[in-house]
Parts: sequence; structure tokens; C-alpha cells
Amino acid sequence: MDAPPSDELAVRFPGRATARDAAGPSRSGALDAAGPLRPGARDAAGPLDPGARVDVEGLLDGMAGAGSLGVGDERVRDFLGAFGRRLLRPELARRHPELASLGFFLRPRELARTVEETRGGEHVRVPRGLVFHIPPANVDTVFVYSWALSALMGNRNVVRLSSRAGAVAALLVDTLLETLDEADREVAEAVAATQRIVSYGRSDAVTAALSAACDLRVVWGGDRTVDEVRRHPLAPHARDLAFPDRSSFALVLASAWLAASPGTREALADGFAADAYWFDQAACSSPRTVFWVGAPAECDTARDDFTTCLARAVARRGWTVDAAMAVEKRVATYGLAADGAARAIGFHGNAVADVVLTAPELAPRRWLGTGTFAHARIASPAELAGLVRRADQTMTYFGFARAELAELAATLAGRGVDRMVPIGEALSFHRVWDGVDLPAEFTRLLTIR
Amino acid sequence: MSVFRLTADEREAALLPRLAELTEWHRRACPPYQRILEAIGAAGPYERVADLPWLPVRLFKTHELRSVPEEQVFRVLTSSGTTGQAPSRVYLDREAAAAQPRMLAATLRAVLGERRLPMLIVDSRAVTRATALSARGAGVLGMMNFGRDHTFVLDERGGLDRRAVEAFLARHGHAPFLVFGFTFMVWLHLPALRADLSQGVLIHSGGWKKLADQAVDNAAFRRRLGAECGLSRIHDFYGMVEQIGTVFLEGPEGDGLYCPDFADVVIRDPETWREAPPGVPGVIEVVSTLPTSYPGHVLLTEDLGVVHGVDDGVWPGKRFSVLGRLPRAETRGCSDTAGEVAA
Repeated sequence: MDAPPSDELAVRFPGRATARDAAGPSRSGALDAAGPLRPGARDAAGPLDPGARVDVEGLLDGMAGAGSLGVGDERVRDFLGAFGRRLLRPELARRHPELASLGFFLRPRELARTVEETRGGEHVRVPRGLVFHIPPANVDTVFVYSWALSALMGNRNVVRLSSRAGAVAALLVDTLLETLDEADREVAEAVAATQRIVSYGRSDAVTAALSAACDLRVVWGGDRTVDEVRRHPLAPHARDLAFPDRSSFALVLASAWLAASPGTREALADGFAADAYWFDQAACSSPRTVFWVGAPAECDTARDDFTTCLARAVARRGWTVDAAMAVEKRVATYGLAADGAARAIGFHGNAVADVVLTAPELAPRRWLGTGTFAHARIASPAELAGLVRRADQTMTYFGFARAELAELAATLAGRGVDRMVPIGEALSFHRVWDGVDLPAEFTRLLTIR
Repeated sequence: MSVFRLTADEREAALLPRLAELTEWHRRACPPYQRILEAIGAAGPYERVADLPWLPVRLFKTHELRSVPEEQVFRVLTSSGTTGQAPSRVYLDREAAAAQPRMLAATLRAVLGERRLPMLIVDSRAVTRATALSARGAGVLGMMNFGRDHTFVLDERGGLDRRAVEAFLARHGHAPFLVFGFTFMVWLHLPALRADLSQGVLIHSGGWKKLADQAVDNAAFRRRLGAECGLSRIHDFYGMVEQIGTVFLEGPEGDGLYCPDFADVVIRDPETWREAPPGVPGVIEVVSTLPTSYPGHVLLTEDLGVVHGVDDGVWPGKRFSVLGRLPRAETRGCSDTAGEVAA
């Protein structure tokens, strides 16, 4: 996926469909009318071109004349629903379980519920306008969640797909193009006119132009990305929605773990492994530290049993790490020991490493390599109040009732933690993410009295 | 006296007690190292060199590891890290600083002889003068100690300095002389010289990555330099700043790298981390008795290698090759658009 230089971008969606038109007649000929490409650029793009090329002004011009969508637009819902169904096809879902999650997220009922929640009250929600999305390079599905919700809210969108994006991202774009091909003319026209997935190389000019043109800029990625993107000014009325570096942990009641049946522990270990290993433990919401709640002896026993169960779960799923990752984990864990943060380090094959921390205050937030779990003991959940940081995002848990969690939330009082979800649900994307109600952010409120 | 004398068994018997002693010495003298050994549960007695606890070499980039008090640090060596990475820092006291060039000299003597030879350097003098000395510059400066009448093959701007080479060969070309350069520089520039270097002893290092990209292996390298420059004495070497003074030197036949008597390699299976038998590739661990002022005596590198044979070559001990680097671990995850969005 080579991206073009300077202020040119490759349009990956709906680029190919348009390029196909140039090569011959097609069902979606209507795209021509609203097509984003200048004739010259289109001629250059063959049917196998990874994306038709266009300069940033051409891209923006092409979208400026686009017809408008409404919040919860039927055409967009129709398109997203059809796209989601494709993702749920068994042969795809088997190979890429994360696509199945995305497919579930896009079920018509889910979409309807999201739209429903934006309605009612004394205000009317209207789209923000043009939304510029910068998703992370390496979690391939994030761009779809971000884009789909924004499109559902009736926005025009430009998604910057990393030129380093992986195979799953390419598969998603292909699936979007197929969906567009199969869509009714009316739906295809509306979507093709208002939605763009593009990629471009290192270019300040393009980022600056898209930043200046958009009404909302959504940056998923690390602190550095957010800082870099923020160098480019937005229009005075526009705003940023930033999702910077976050990290996550698990909270387990040791006595509950020990009392759980073998079947329950096995299921928990499976869920925990999925939370951790799907994105190489590098996703913001993947647990890095497990805080055990209880007396020292029971926490030690529970932790050891947990690690045994986890190693089995990882082996069952066939998750492995390569030699480079194994070395990475040694560097990270030996480093923790050198710093005095690790009392004991254990390796269970290359896939699972556990680190017993010398104190819960020393819980590492940074990524330590896939399948590296720090463990610490605390006497009660309330101790977390002194331990959490603003960057802590997801707390997966086992052994606590909702009332206890609500109490803990009150104790934490916003110092950190945006999500408390059962072990196994760390990666389940929700329209409320990082403490942000995305559909609300993707709209404005219009007052009618 | 040659430092290529010990058979595998003799070497094991000589190194094990000394390395075990160093492990305990560093354990006492370097608190971070002591905490690492504690955490991984490493404790003697060790039955084999391969049983000794190793440190990943990258730890010298991330941590300050030294076994001498700060005021006894005589020199701090730094490696050039790859972009964005901190360099390794290696702390030498006066004794270690003196030992390393002495042992390096003893190692190279096996192929250079006792006397300091006239030296042709396949590089430009400019690399030794850069304000921030590159690894290449440092390497050239280090090797210059082993030669005299230094002549650079490249001029200040990087072009071939034929006149200088001709003058050098007129003075020294009839008797053994030393040629030194980084492997890819040698490949790039020596054949173009079209000069008779048949009396030369070529020492080169720096790795094969750039040449491997052009599908040039050691055999092709030796063949071409033999055919076009008349070079028959060619010795690659493998070493790293974290074990400064220790180099693994290619034998005269080009049949692999050999270990000096005070060092050895252990090839580890990257799944079980146990020692791999000859012929089976794995991750290279290097051991050496030289690191006394920092715990670098047993290091797991990020290089892949294979032992070809034991006590079956021109020199005793293991003979091995470096096969390339472990790829850097790929990170996926949310926090990774940096560097390409704007920049």
C-alpha cells in the first residue's frame, strides 16, 4: 500500500467502484454524478489500482456538493446493516473473530437503538457536518466503529486509513466496496457522495487541509499522534475528539476465584485471554495488571491458579508469540525487576509471562510485550482510589456485584477508569467509549422552543 | 600465545567457574542485576555454561547496569542505537578499559601476527572526525590501533582515492598489510579499485544485512574479493559494544566464526530456550570473561545463528555463523499512528 507523495491522497472508498466505471459500464453508474474524482485522476486509475488518486482540494470539492444525510439516515442504516451482514459470514468470522464483533455492532437492531437514544427531549440532534477521522495504524477495526457511528449520525466523513494498516483493514475496505456494489442505487449514491476512506503518506499539507475543513476531528492513537495532529489548526467552530494513550487492568476477588468451579475458572481464563491476546495486549482496553483483592495467602494461591488456567486457555486457543516477542518480554520484565518493581518473574512458555509486583503502586501502564501480566495485591477495592490514574481506561472484573462497583466508582470519583466490564468484555466496543458518548459527540443540539 | 587453543571441553571447564564467579561478583556489586537474578530465581551451583542466567542485551539500552561505583567509572561506551532508541551504555573501570584492547589485540594476532602492519582503511577519514561519532567511525578508530601508516581508500567526499591507494601499495604492497572496513563498504569499494591486494589481510565486520538484500552471501563475497583483488586472507568478525574487547573471528578457511578462549557462544532454541544442537539455528548467546565492571558476561543477543561444528575446524571449539537479526517485535495497538500522520 504505497501512499502517494505531497498533497495527493489515494481514495480507497469509494475509489475502486468509480475506477471500475471508467473501465466499463457498471450498475453503480450513478456514482459518476457525485463521484469525487476529477476526470484526469480517474483516467489514471486502472481497475486494479489500490485507490484512485486525487488531491486534497479535489477530495473536499467533491464532497462539498454532496447531498445531505440526516441523523439516523435510512440509507446509511441500510448500508451499514448490509455491511455488517457481510462481516458475519461464517468463513470471514472464523478467520477474523474481531470482524464478527464488528458485524454484531452493526446489526440493524443495534443501529436502531443507537439512533433511538439520540431522539426525544426538547432538542433536536443534527449532524456536525464534515468529520475527519484519524484511526490508529494497528487496530484495524477501530476506523470502522468511529466512521460507522459518525455516518449513522448523518455526517460526511473522511477516514484516514494508515498506509501501514494491516490485512484486516484491507479486507474491511474490500467488504465496504462490495457492499456498495450490491446496494440499491439510492443507497449507493448517498453513501458514495458523502463518505471517503483515504490514505496518504507523510504529509502535513493534507492533514492541515482536512483539519481546516472539518467540523470535528477524531484522533485515535497515542499521545504523540494527538500532539502532532493538534499542530494543525481547526476552523474556529470545530473541535477535537481525542483518544490518547490509555491502559487497563483487571480486578479479581481472590476468594471468589478460589470458590469458582473449574468450569467457571476455565471460562474466565478464556475471556481474559481474549481480552489480552486479540490485539497482542496492546489495545487500550486489554488488561496489563491484575489486582487481587484479599488476604496475602489467598491472593497468592488464586494468582498461581489463575496463571495456570490462563496458560491452558492460551494453549487451547493456539495463541503463540514469536522469538522477537519473547525477547521483548524478557527485556521488559527483567527491566521491571532491575527497577525494583518485580519480586518474581515467571515464564510459562513464550506466550505467558507473569510478574509479581513488589507494590501495587508500581503497576506498569506501558506495554510489556504480548502476554505479560503484572500482579499485585490490595486489601479492598477502595485502595484503587490511591492507585488509578486518569489514563486508566477499562477495569475488567470478577467477583463483584454492581452495587460494589457503583460504590467503587463513587470512591474513584473520576480519577480514572471509564469502563467497568466483566472479564471477557474488555474489547467489546460500545457507543460510549473512553467516557465519551460518541453519537452525542457526532451531533449538535438544535434548540426548538 | 594464541587465544584459539581450547577445545570445547577445555573451554567449558575453564569458563564455567570463572563465569559463575563473575555472576556472583556482579550479583553483589550491581543491585539491579541482583534484583533480576532474585526475580527469575537464578541461583548456583551451575553445572554448565549454558545454565548460567543471561541478560537480554537490550537491557543495556534501557538500564544503567554497572558493578563499580560511579567514581571508578573510567569510560562509558555507547552504541549508536537505531533511530528513536536509546544507545547502550557500557561502564568500564580502569582495569576493564585496559583489558579490552589487550584481549582484542590477542585475538586479532591470530591472523595479523605480532607486528603492527601498514593499514588500508576502506572508508573515509571523515567518519573518524564527525562531531557525533558514528558506530562506523568508532569502529574505524578502534581498529586503527592495530595498524600503522593508515591510508584511507575513500577521500573526504567519499570518492575512491586511487592515488592514495597506489602510493600505499607502492610502499607496502609487497609484504603483508592490513585492510579493514565494514562489510558493505568493502563490497562496494574494494572490487572497483582493481588493485592487487594479494598481500593483504582483510578484516571486516558490521553485518550482512545490506549484502543479503542484494543476495550476496559470505561465499560470494570471498569469491569476488579473491577474483578481483587477489585477497585470500579474509576474516569477518562478530562482536558488540556490550561485550567490548570480545570478537568472534572468522577462520582462515571461511568456515565460520571461532570463539577466543575467554569467550563462547550458546545457540538457544527460541521456544524452549535450551541450547540447540549443532546445525539447528537459534538465538545467539555470547559469554565472555571480560566484562568485570558491568554484568555483561552472559548476554542473549537479538541475532540468530547456528553452530556448524565443534572441534572440527582449523581452530578448536565451536564454529558458527550469524544468520541475521531477530525481527523487531511488532506492536499492534491503539497508540500507534505516531510519526506518519503529520511529521
